[in-house]
Amino acid sequence: MAVSAGAVHEALADIAGREHCLREAPALARYAIDGMMPSLVVRPATADEVSRVVALCAAERLALAPRGAGTSIGLGNPPRRLDVVLDLGRMHAVREYVPEDMVATVEAGATLDALAAHFAPHRQALTLDPPGGGTRSVGGVLATHASGPLRFRYGTGRDLLLGARFVQADGTLTWGGAKVVKSVTGYDVPKLLVGSLGTLGVLVEVTLRLHPMPPASRNWRLGFPSREAAAVFLAGLLDSPLQPDRAALLDAAGLARAGLAVDAIGLLLSIGSAPEAVEHQGRALARLAAGHGGRSEEVPDAAWAGLGPTVDGPLLLRVTGEPRRLLDWVGEAHAAAARAGVEVMVLAQPGHGVLQLSVGEGFDAARVVTHLVRPLRSALEAEGGSLVVERAPAELKARCDVWGAIQPDILAIMERIKTEFDPAGVLNPGRFVGGL
Amino acid sequence: MSVTQPVGGGLGAFDAHDPPSMDGLRACVHCGICLPQCPTYRVLGEEMDSPRGRIYLMRAAAEDRIGLTPTMARHLDLCLGCRACETACPSGVPFGQLLEATRGQFERRGVTAPTRDSATLRFILEVFPHPARLGPMLHALRMYQWTGMQAMVRGLGLLAPFAKLRAMEALLPPVPLPGAPLPELIPARGPRRGRAGLLLGCAQRFFYPDVNRDTARLLAAAGYDVVAPRAQECCGALHLHAGRVDEFRAMARRLMPAFADVDVIVVNAAGCGSALKEYGHWLPGDAARLFAERVRDVSEVLTGSDLPLRAMPQTVSYHDACHLAHGQKIRAEPRELLRRIPGLTLVDLPDSELCCGSAGVYNLLEPEMAGELGRRKAARIRETGARVITAGNPGCLMQIHQHCREAGLDVEVVHPVTLLARALEER
Amino acid sequence: MPLTPQLRRALEDIVGPAGLVVSAEGRLTYECDMHTFYKGTPDAVVLPESAAQVAAIVRLCRREHVPIVPRGSGTGLIGGAMAPEGGVMVSMTRMNRVVELDFPNRCATVQPGLINLWLSQATRDRGYFFAPDPSSQMVSSIGGNASTNAGGPHCLKYGITVNHVLGLEVVTGAGELVQLGGKTHERPGYDLTGVMVGAEGTLGLITGVIVRLTHLPEGVKTILASFSSIEDASEAVSAIIRAGIIPAALEMLDEVVIRAIEEGVGAGYPKGAGAVLLIELDGPIAEIEAQSGPIETICRDHLALEIRVAQSEAERALLWKGRKEAAGVFGRLTPNWLLQDAVVPRSKLPQIMKEVAAIGARHRLVIANVFHAGDGNLHPLICYDDRAPGELERAKQANEELLAACLALGGSVTGEHGVGLDKRASLPMQFADADLSFMARLRRVFDPDSIMNPGKLLPSHPACGEGFRPAARPLPAGTWI
Repeated sequence: MAVSAGAVHEALADIAGREHCLREAPALARYAIDGMMPSLVVRPATADEVSRVVALCAAERLALAPRGAGTSIGLGNPPRRLDVVLDLGRMHAVREYVPEDMVATVEAGATLDALAAHFAPHRQALTLDPPGGGTRSVGGVLATHASGPLRFRYGTGRDLLLGARFVQADGTLTWGGAKVVKSVTGYDVPKLLVGSLGTLGVLVEVTLRLHPMPPASRNWRLGFPSREAAAVFLAGLLDSPLQPDRAALLDAAGLARAGLAVDAIGLLLSIGSAPEAVEHQGRALARLAAGHGGRSEEVPDAAWAGLGPTVDGPLLLRVTGEPRRLLDWVGEAHAAAARAGVEVMVLAQPGHGVLQLSVGEGFDAARVVTHLVRPLRSALEAEGGSLVVERAPAELKARCDVWGAIQPDILAIMERIKTEFDPAGVLNPGRFVGGL
Repeated sequence: MSVTQPVGGGLGAFDAHDPPSMDGLRACVHCGICLPQCPTYRVLGEEMDSPRGRIYLMRAAAEDRIGLTPTMARHLDLCLGCRACETACPSGVPFGQLLEATRGQFERRGVTAPTRDSATLRFILEVFPHPARLGPMLHALRMYQWTGMQAMVRGLGLLAPFAKLRAMEALLPPVPLPGAPLPELIPARGPRRGRAGLLLGCAQRFFYPDVNRDTARLLAAAGYDVVAPRAQECCGALHLHAGRVDEFRAMARRLMPAFADVDVIVVNAAGCGSALKEYGHWLPGDAARLFAERVRDVSEVLTGSDLPLRAMPQTVSYHDACHLAHGQKIRAEPRELLRRIPGLTLVDLPDSELCCGSAGVYNLLEPEMAGELGRRKAARIRETGARVITAGNPGCLMQIHQHCREAGLDVEVVHPVTLLARALEER
Repeated sequence: MPLTPQLRRALEDIVGPAGLVVSAEGRLTYECDMHTFYKGTPDAVVLPESAAQVAAIVRLCRREHVPIVPRGSGTGLIGGAMAPEGGVMVSMTRMNRVVELDFPNRCATVQPGLINLWLSQATRDRGYFFAPDPSSQMVSSIGGNASTNAGGPHCLKYGITVNHVLGLEVVTGAGELVQLGGKTHERPGYDLTGVMVGAEGTLGLITGVIVRLTHLPEGVKTILASFSSIEDASEAVSAIIRAGIIPAALEMLDEVVIRAIEEGVGAGYPKGAGAVLLIELDGPIAEIEAQSGPIETICRDHLALEIRVAQSEAERALLWKGRKEAAGVFGRLTPNWLLQDAVVPRSKLPQIMKEVAAIGARHRLVIANVFHAGDGNLHPLICYDDRAPGELERAKQANEELLAACLALGGSVTGEHGVGLDKRASLPMQFADADLSFMARLRRVFDPDSIMNPGKLLPSHPACGEGFRPAARPLPAGTWI
């Protein structure tokens, strides 16, 4: 730091209040990122305070990491530098909510659970459900492009974020997008921010599209004796007019961890609609499953809560391939895991070709990188897919790039964007793709 | 040469003699819905060879933004006059009439595109509409075919260097013997419904005399006394579509008296029918309007009667001649008639309403564009798997026959009345 | 700026003589899109047939500092596909094929000039369609749809074009031919695809699109409810949404529009109604059946005069034909019209409709209304006759007031047509300088020499030295100062 930490601390205390600026080691410990400790943590209460904090960091050439609930703070390469952590936990208000418009503007630190509680009395919901993510901040979910079973029908943050107020790397408070569901005014800046890991701006307020909660909702667990059978069933399901809301696909280990009956491959689906329609589709679903050698049973809503534990292991990999290849990649992942000598479990998003591979305790980092991460990633990238190390101990991150390869010409454009908006590398430097 | 000075009472660059209607031009809202329906736009993808673009040029001339230029003439020449755009247009722009009026202006003021094959056009306009000249020419062509000269010429590709000539030669169907001329009166069979005058047509009577004979048979079976007046010449369609509006009017005036004492004037050639139905628009006075109101395509007349038809199991498809579908809005009647034949399966022809490239004599003047459209039509026909393709216009029959032959497709190409006549059960 | 012989030769070398239009007559037909208000003649029009040709064109124009204006079918309503600064117009109409249909992955790779509806026609037999259905879909191109992030009546349920684009092949303003996105549904890095959609050709030229295919719904039910007033109809819309029902489409038409449609295409709309709601439900049959009852009840509760359900596919198609060709039939009703595209929050719909009526009365002009009521996206159509003195001015004034009214209610200056030239000056009503500056800088990342569709999308700020004014073009050699 150019100026002493003490001076910066004073300046930040002026902005956010002394009690919301931390500089003592014990308090800072939980804010470490990949073993790297920040010198300071600040917890602003308003967008204006965020703006001033970031401006200060920019002026003092400090590196800053935004943070929501901290659940996914480990996503990304280890920081090239880390001076300040900006904790948005105090900014959790719902600023505007007009139920009839099904649009809400909320502060980025609001948690998914709090928002759900806020919208439920009006029978509406923000349809973002990363497993076990109820305590996550909406800003964090958007910045990391996290998603869950509701993606099947409602997409991800990319499809739900209408507008965003954010603070640029120089502290400028900026707005992008719109507050209504349909607007094509200039560039879709919110799209740029989703999944950008805070490297272009710190989200402070987001305007989100909500959806009505269906009158009735029921859930089914389907089980298949093999990947092949499950693949054929999945193709049939996607090719049918059935409209599940939520969908998750698990392997045997995942099913066990989720507390569900175990088959080689299982699917957990929910259908929400008028009661008659739910009944009708549920029966069609069961018939379809049976026709592909599967069994089905209805399960309670609580079953979905069981998914959280399937992705909370110390090593979590995110595999993205072509949707039709999902079950193939499940098989590849299992094979690679065997070669690496580790036990894994799979939680996948059917229809989207995305799966999360969770590796349990006691793995050898070098072996995992050599026999699991690298070969699987190469195979995926050869087909236009990707493998991202979503969560891993520092020693594993030291051995491999978290994000994987980006095509050079695309990376060049991304670099130009980063350089344009954060030339000094204030926001999360080095943590994003290509070391941006 | 470009002409820009407006004559007194004119419309921008157009003079006062039959200018295109400004209201018609202003009706265009530039929405572009016509574009995908336009054959030349489908082939070229260029705005100035789309209806919207052509109207834009006409309107620019009417507003004195441009003059009548050879380049503009070229884009008008390329237009088939198929009027698919009229069918598509939500605003009711009368494209066909705007085109004909504009062409008329170019004709009279002597502005032509350098690519215009004036010699061929002149030849066509001086021979085709005159049976007395067309007959002998076709006799010579028949000899050319019978003596094996055609086979030799085609086989050796002798006409390869002469694009226009080769195009014309390729189009030529086997020229039939003239046979006995139709009697002037064929009495109705069974209860009499009325008196129908049959337009013999120029191309039809020489290239497809069977179609006229079959038409007469069907009309008689439907209860009409069929009159085929000897005095009739040409309906003037070719001249109208080429923008020779005054000559067209003269031919119309000569034709109308031949059909003075019939209840309905029956036409089996789409191009002729469309022109006849517009007599009221182009000629002043009640006579023309009343004449036009009596004109019917043969399919319109026959759907009104109950013909006894024998089973004829076959798979047939139907191509919409532009001047039937777009010019006269007749689409359902021919299909309905074909479906009445027991055992006949009518399969849909995708893009049935897209011009085959014949467009009157367009295929003789613009062989490249016509050839591309003909090839596309043949490809669509191939996709249907039909062995018989029907169309209600002699030009279409020739064009489709040529391109199916060149595509190696074994299909029979006939007028719908031919199938109906075959199926007709006569006591 | 006239085309230099060297530039002409260079363009001809790329696309061949048949791919180049230089005649005055030809270029004249490219001077505007559907919004004929804005005219700008290009110095040349090229019709490339491959992405490689497009890349070569962009690189050439970048070297020569010549502006580029992309054009699809030319059906835009914002003065987008015209060349106010001359330059080279790149028409994508010859790149119009379906390249690949990939049903197992539920996606299709297409060339940008492919007509939107043709894709759905190609996939229909297999049970799929391309969901974005702008009213222009029988002629607008998918590249154009992506460029403007087109909506359409069914976007209420299915989302807008950006929600259906998985990848784009583009040539950036810097001349780079890149593949953004792909068949996979996510990838690490910035969402460049998301930024490119709706960029209106200012960041790059789209040469290929990978789109999502959507499964056709099991059933469809189209309901026409007529009301005596727009107010009643608007209240019914609000009530339907409040009840948690999201129809696939929820369109409103007023009596002026109804009359035009009946005269034009004839769609069986009831005469004498003050407004009609065209409500379409689609999805599992059991669901539609469960929803249609409540909808009918809501309509009746809001004083519906008549409720009609389309009994056949033919009837349904006719009801929609009227709606989709509404803009086109206006040629029958009025010599000129200004079509506005603005958005208000749904909850403000009844209020804005009253405002629209008041504005029309104030300026003594007929304002017809056809729009996507379900998402608050209005299309007031201001009728006028440019031959009547002062009417054009009153129409423009009414237009301004309309936009301001929408913004005052928390809406947006454009719902789905885009910004182009038409809404450029209105953006500052919705965005602060810092916001516009951010967008301008983003633009420069992709288009460092400011050749891509200059004068469109972002306003030029007279006071600002940098920020969002594009960099000045160098003067041609030999210019006398």
